[in-house]
Amino acid sequence: MTTEYEIHDHDVLIIGAGGAGLRAALGALSQGAKVGVVCKSLLGKAHTVMAEGGIAAAMANVDPADDWRTHFRDTMRGGKLLNNWRMAQIHAHEAPDRVRELEQWGALFDRTPDGQILQRAFGGHTFRRLCHVGDRTGLEMIRTLQDRGVQLGIDVYMECTITRLLKDGDRVAGAFGYWREQGRFALFRAKSIVIATGGIGKAWKITSNSWEYTGDGMALAYDAGAELMDMEFVQFHPTGMVWPPGVQGILVTEAVRGEGGVLRNKLGKRFMEQYDPKKMELSTRDVVARAIYTEVREGRGTEHAGAYLDISQKPADYVKKKLPSMYHQFKELADVDITKGPMEVGPTCHYMMGGIRVDAETAKSSVRGLFAAGEAAAGLHGANRLGGNSLSDLLVFGHRAGLAAAEHAKAVRATPIDSAQVAEAAREILAPFERKAGESPYTIHRDLQETMQSLVGIFRDQADLIRALEDLEKLKDRAEHVSVEGSRLFNPAWHLTQDLRSMLTVSEAVTRSALARQESRGAHSRIDYPGLDAVWGTKNSVVVRKGDTMTLHQSPVPEMPSDLRQLVAEEK
Amino acid sequence: MAENKTVILKIKRQPNPNVRPHWEEFELPSRSGMNVISSLMEIAANPVTREGKATTPITYDSNCLEEVCGSCAMLINGRARMACSALVDKLEQPIRLEPFSKFPVVRDLAVDRSVLFENLKAVKAWVPIDGSYDLGSGPRMTMQEQEEAYPLSRCISCCCCMEACPQFNEDTGFVGAATISQVRLFNTHPTGAALKRERLVALMGDGGIQECGYAQNCVEVCPKDIPLTRSIAEVGGDVMKQAIGDLFRK
Repeated sequence: MTTEYEIHDHDVLIIGAGGAGLRAALGALSQGAKVGVVCKSLLGKAHTVMAEGGIAAAMANVDPADDWRTHFRDTMRGGKLLNNWRMAQIHAHEAPDRVRELEQWGALFDRTPDGQILQRAFGGHTFRRLCHVGDRTGLEMIRTLQDRGVQLGIDVYMECTITRLLKDGDRVAGAFGYWREQGRFALFRAKSIVIATGGIGKAWKITSNSWEYTGDGMALAYDAGAELMDMEFVQFHPTGMVWPPGVQGILVTEAVRGEGGVLRNKLGKRFMEQYDPKKMELSTRDVVARAIYTEVREGRGTEHAGAYLDISQKPADYVKKKLPSMYHQFKELADVDITKGPMEVGPTCHYMMGGIRVDAETAKSSVRGLFAAGEAAAGLHGANRLGGNSLSDLLVFGHRAGLAAAEHAKAVRATPIDSAQVAEAAREILAPFERKAGESPYTIHRDLQETMQSLVGIFRDQADLIRALEDLEKLKDRAEHVSVEGSRLFNPAWHLTQDLRSMLTVSEAVTRSALARQESRGAHSRIDYPGLDAVWGTKNSVVVRKGDTMTLHQSPVPEMPSDLRQLVAEEK
Repeated sequence: MAENKTVILKIKRQPNPNVRPHWEEFELPSRSGMNVISSLMEIAANPVTREGKATTPITYDSNCLEEVCGSCAMLINGRARMACSALVDKLEQPIRLEPFSKFPVVRDLAVDRSVLFENLKAVKAWVPIDGSYDLGSGPRMTMQEQEEAYPLSRCISCCCCMEACPQFNEDTGFVGAATISQVRLFNTHPTGAALKRERLVALMGDGGIQECGYAQNCVEVCPKDIPLTRSIAEVGGDVMKQAIGDLFRK
């Protein structure tokens, strides 16, 4: 097979075309840099489009008392103080400017009676703070950024997967990958690279994430020597659809329980009686999640390892009126009529708080010339993320990463690419074709998802995590022997072998970090260590590659200046 | 429903744009709630035809699987629609899957829809703002203005409206409903309106708005119920006024 490749030159190369990637591209363009954006799918279709809730920004349009201080405090408290305080401060400071800019660019936010951007309440936010566009804020954000990108003429390389970052000594020199369509290779030479590839949900069986979410950027950065941080913090939503396949993973809003939805196990028993007889289904999110988890764990789960959530005892008209989008979505996508029978629900993997460790001001990683923003980066959200803070994260740090990457590109000279690294990257991509009669990547992916779902899910304990690490070792070994049939022309099995490598690396980082943290904090819940631990509260987990081994160490959480510390501690 | 019922899919395949397409049939066990995308995923994991012959997985575009992103548009039983919301139980069998016929085929069900971006560029579908200074708040917009513009911004660039339009073809070079509707969106935007005249001029002449034959297929197939024919009527009126005005200014 040919190992020829085409070459593209840029000052700044951005990997990922979601909110963070596009905002970074616009930031770098504004500095006069020659910018390229590479993405796995089509422009305008990135995962960001699925975000519904809104963009958190203390604009104070609806609640005049809101300000950056309150947003900062909410974010730090939500993250159980494991956040990088400076990122949380910058984020709270700059989110309103980034929203106003999006508005200037044409985003059609819902309006207050006096014509300003309307803001709504959301869990964890003291004030009504989420700027929104109906229930499709993410799509509007992407549409607006994309329109502006089309205007300014960004070079977009669609349906292209990056498999390796290339280095010159300690600095990034480019990226190597292949066109998904034709299978041809492409080499991107760049002085700066921004990773904006999002999260890792596809390593779990039940996830609200799209197929693109295979942790590529985190794995690329890790392989290039960058640090990954807070990898144990994976956000699960307690109720996602586990069946049928057409809607698997899709979130079932808590409003279903609020409107009278009842939870039952496979024996038909309303099991919340055991866990919280007073509040029943209206108990807190973590209690409900734990109840479902326990029922499934003890063999009383449904056929597809979930619980039944039933609102069909309410009049159909009532359900349609109170939960219109839920009703329509499930009816349309899988012919599930929630007014006629129960839903099958369980925890669904939703968001990754951890990621590439970056500098708060510039979004630069520990590798020279390598930057990261959005879900692929860590620090802003600490141990848990508040709803609405992800879209603002994309804008604030996408912008900053773009500026800093352009600045860096101005300051350094282009560096030659080592042809041996390119040859090695090409060889690595083609290896699955060389092997005969190896295992299919699909079965390995399925087993990985089973392991992560059942052992590294919403609740964890030491025995499970140790077993998961053993499983991952075996899976890594099996992945080494994967073979793929056919040609390089749009070959999904071949694409999956590349994704699988990323997922295995990131899954291992998650599992190692989760095993080390002997406490429960934010999204990391250890059955065997149920409470917060003061000492662990001062440490971030950091994963880094040493030779071929993944190593883990703890790094002190950056200390807040006293005025901010006071602010966070204030009783409000 | 009988337990052993099956679903038959007949899929038009084309390994690359230079060879003739052929059909392959697949048979899957029927389950409630299946849609076309989940069927294609099932085939990808085990690509064997109905006759038991091993084949390659089907190529198609998809992303969100929630009918938000607009990737998975294709012809399903001859109709342009999204595969993620095409329920198998509601389709006549065998279910025929074909790529869009008016866009260059990349492979199997995947087509190149970049013409839409070219069209959006031609009509300057953006708000002309120089973003290099502190902009402050955007223009105030009433709730009513926002509510009127909102349906237009729901476009997911799936291109169903273009595929279904009898006038959208190489002979006319028609830009299609999606682009015209975006012209309306940006022309009604307080700042976007600065380019109103240029957008209308771009829609005059060959391939412009007068190519529309009022078949109304666009509004029928739009998965987001965008009032496309109303957009065409309104923008058409504006184009006419602009053309007459320009005539008298000469």
